[in-house]
Amino acid sequence: MSNIPPHKASEADKDRVFAPCRARCPVHIDVPGYLSAVAEGRFTDALEIVMQRNPLPSVCGRVCLRPCEEGCRRCNLDEPVAIAALKRAAADHGAYPLPRPMGTRPERVAIIGSGPTGLTAAHDLAQLGMKVTLFEEKPKLGGMLRYGIPNYRLPDDALDRDIGHIVSLGVETITGVRVGRDLNLDELAQTFDAVLIAAGLQGSRSVPIDGAHLPQVMTALDFLERSASGEKLDLGERVVVVGGGNVAMDVARTAIRQHAQSVDVICLESRDEMPASEHEIEDATLEGANVHCSWGPHAVIGDENVCALDTVRCTSIFDSEKRFAPEFDESELRRFEADTIILAIGQSADVGDLGINLTHRGSPIVDPVTLRTSHEGIYAAGDVVTGPTRIIDAIAHGHRAAAAIFGALVDDWSLLRELDLENTVLGEIPPHMSEMLETRRRIQMETVPFYEAIKNWGEIEEGYTEYEAAREAQRCLGCTTGARLAQEKCASCLSCMRVCPHGAPGVHVGGYMYFDMEACHACGTCASACPGSAISIEGCSPDEMVLRVQRALASPTIDQTIAFVCGHTRNALETLDPNARIVTVSCLLRVDESTVLQAFRSGAGRVAFSECDTGTCRFPHALKLVAQRERSIVSALTQIGMGDSFRIVGPASDEEAPS
Amino acid sequence: MIVVRRKPIDEILKMVGRHTRVMLVGCNTCAAVSLAGGQKEVDTLIELLSLAASRKGFSVEFSDAILERQCEPEFIEKLDSQGYDAILSLGCGAGVATLAGDNDKPVYPALDTLFIGSAQGFASWQAECSACGSCVLGETCGICPTTRCAKGILNGPCGGVKDGTCELGDRPCAWVEIYDRLESLGRIDDFGKTMPAKDNSISARCCEWDMTKEGDDS
Repeated sequence: MSNIPPHKASEADKDRVFAPCRARCPVHIDVPGYLSAVAEGRFTDALEIVMQRNPLPSVCGRVCLRPCEEGCRRCNLDEPVAIAALKRAAADHGAYPLPRPMGTRPERVAIIGSGPTGLTAAHDLAQLGMKVTLFEEKPKLGGMLRYGIPNYRLPDDALDRDIGHIVSLGVETITGVRVGRDLNLDELAQTFDAVLIAAGLQGSRSVPIDGAHLPQVMTALDFLERSASGEKLDLGERVVVVGGGNVAMDVARTAIRQHAQSVDVICLESRDEMPASEHEIEDATLEGANVHCSWGPHAVIGDENVCALDTVRCTSIFDSEKRFAPEFDESELRRFEADTIILAIGQSADVGDLGINLTHRGSPIVDPVTLRTSHEGIYAAGDVVTGPTRIIDAIAHGHRAAAAIFGALVDDWSLLRELDLENTVLGEIPPHMSEMLETRRRIQMETVPFYEAIKNWGEIEEGYTEYEAAREAQRCLGCTTGARLAQEKCASCLSCMRVCPHGAPGVHVGGYMYFDMEACHACGTCASACPGSAISIEGCSPDEMVLRVQRALASPTIDQTIAFVCGHTRNALETLDPNARIVTVSCLLRVDESTVLQAFRSGAGRVAFSECDTGTCRFPHALKLVAQRERSIVSALTQIGMGDSFRIVGPASDEEAPS
Repeated sequence: MIVVRRKPIDEILKMVGRHTRVMLVGCNTCAAVSLAGGQKEVDTLIELLSLAASRKGFSVEFSDAILERQCEPEFIEKLDSQGYDAILSLGCGAGVATLAGDNDKPVYPALDTLFIGSAQGFASWQAECSACGSCVLGETCGICPTTRCAKGILNGPCGGVKDGTCELGDRPCAWVEIYDRLESLGRIDDFGKTMPAKDNSISARCCEWDMTKEGDDS
């Protein structure tokens, strides 16, 4: 019995085997699923997949810190797929789903704060049919997304698209009202069945140094909010920013756009220790900010107006137990001349006026599982509870809060339990497979050059075009979206083993087939060769293909040709009839005989296969099988007198082929 | 394994075109494995027949079913063909026959049964056995002259062989292959020993094999 291969995950278990990108995303977006849709130009489908787990695709497509990309299995091959940028492409080029709440429920929920946590919880609860009222202190919804992130990184219209969809679910919004000041939390708790505090971190930390009270010393939040509100600030010529995180970089770049002549960023950390993302530091430097590391603020110099910031050398930041305990060498001083000083050294919770029990740091005390505060029916989530996190973490907390509130109000805890289900993460690419994979560099997104960018608040990253997005998404290895076997349909014919070049299918003693998910990269060759229709590939089942053909035929064009186009060749469209209705596929092998025949029955007068360029072919092993498929289709159609109705369009010329 | 191949569509349509509701029945054993009778081929054939029928002005409705093995009555029992006026079998000859024997409606073959063969890779099969009833593979190192030799001769090769290829030009000479394999196994001395004529009446008489009958259990 020693020759029995180790048992792989059963088909049911495979639903919880996540690709590393999906596993690392705190909300577990089905990344390979939406990338495969983008790869085929199906942006609306892609957006729908994203929005099943993330109601802020336009936001996260731009400013997410992208933990997913660190897990991409391409990291060991060349560089990760541009997952976040492709999420943006889905939001840019796809249509947002129509609001379809799951019925209506009587429960009423108030949510305080409309940042990522509040918006997510509002989305989820409204989707579940509850009546949600969103309270926001500021004039517009969005919280830090609107007032903390500058427009050149996240424009208002991008944010408004996400918010618009959430509000369209029937969420009532009340802006310009601060709960605790304008409204009493207890009254709210009596009116609503549940209240969620998702107020974020609205307090700014300060430094206890001389002169910190002067009017030209501002906090980052105040500065960013006023800038985001369109205020033109008189900063003077010289601005000093204190802080080494991403907010400090945003402040520096915003100050440049507020016409500061010089911007110095000083931080305690050494260059390597700076918490800001590397690319944020680079971009700020490129735009003209001067970053000075290992300096600590000592005193603000000035009487009525600030004229400088005195700093001392910071020799270390953390003690031996990695606690924040900066040490200074007060003999080494440096003066930075300044007309304005902006402190970007952290935020804190500011919910003291709500009257709930708080930790020593001022955050509401909550049950870690249900997020309930010390008060019945009052919950808290997001940064106000956890301290500063990434946007995607705040979104995850919003999901948890919604699931917990739904559980408590409806006595159905399944959503909350689902959040805590364990996952298995797909392992690295097996060596034999990585040798077979072609390296392909990431497609660079067009950006506005820095010298133009600093002149206004326009968005710097221009986003992928539809074609660029599809090409970039085609770099995805399709981890976990590959072969799924319906054992009861399998005839053990071994065709899958014979056509797979990666050794993904195998057979146990007794003739039972299995698939090694680590070796499979979802080319679909096995599914196309399976006579029992026992193998499926995510996103291209026979039913889905029929639906796509019918959708394409419903679009208003005069011509009756359905063209199945390999997405790996750009100019294929140009060699076809311009009126042909296009169905783009990752590989023509995904179009089987019955899909072609059904296209005729659905009203197509002609069907064309537009082949890929062998130079850009993603699945070269499939070429022979595609040719065999084409012969088989021609033979079948010829037998019924329709041989002329099928056309094969060859690969494009070299001149037009993308390099 | 029994290797099968789909008939030309015209031939199939001539059989089923006169009916109004036809059930296509696939077979998930040999016919599926030889890529002609599984679910996928049933689906494709339904599309093809529907298209062909509508072009010829026939009004035929087709539906599908899959049996694990059409040559087993117990599997056939599960087939519900009520409301259909004909069955189109995507099984081998044995499947068609078993279905037909167990049914009160006409059963037609969609496939031709070619041979008992072995897989040569994806979508490729080699004829290996003609079910003659008197096996000589022991003498020929596993290469069946009855099946693989165009003439089926037991003491070859004949004079038509040229450079190891049969005079038909479509296959290697089975007897050259037998020679090569005997040589590689160190049995070249066995080559040339005359084999007696085969008793062809065995396969002709062997229309049934029933071990439960007395006298048939040897």
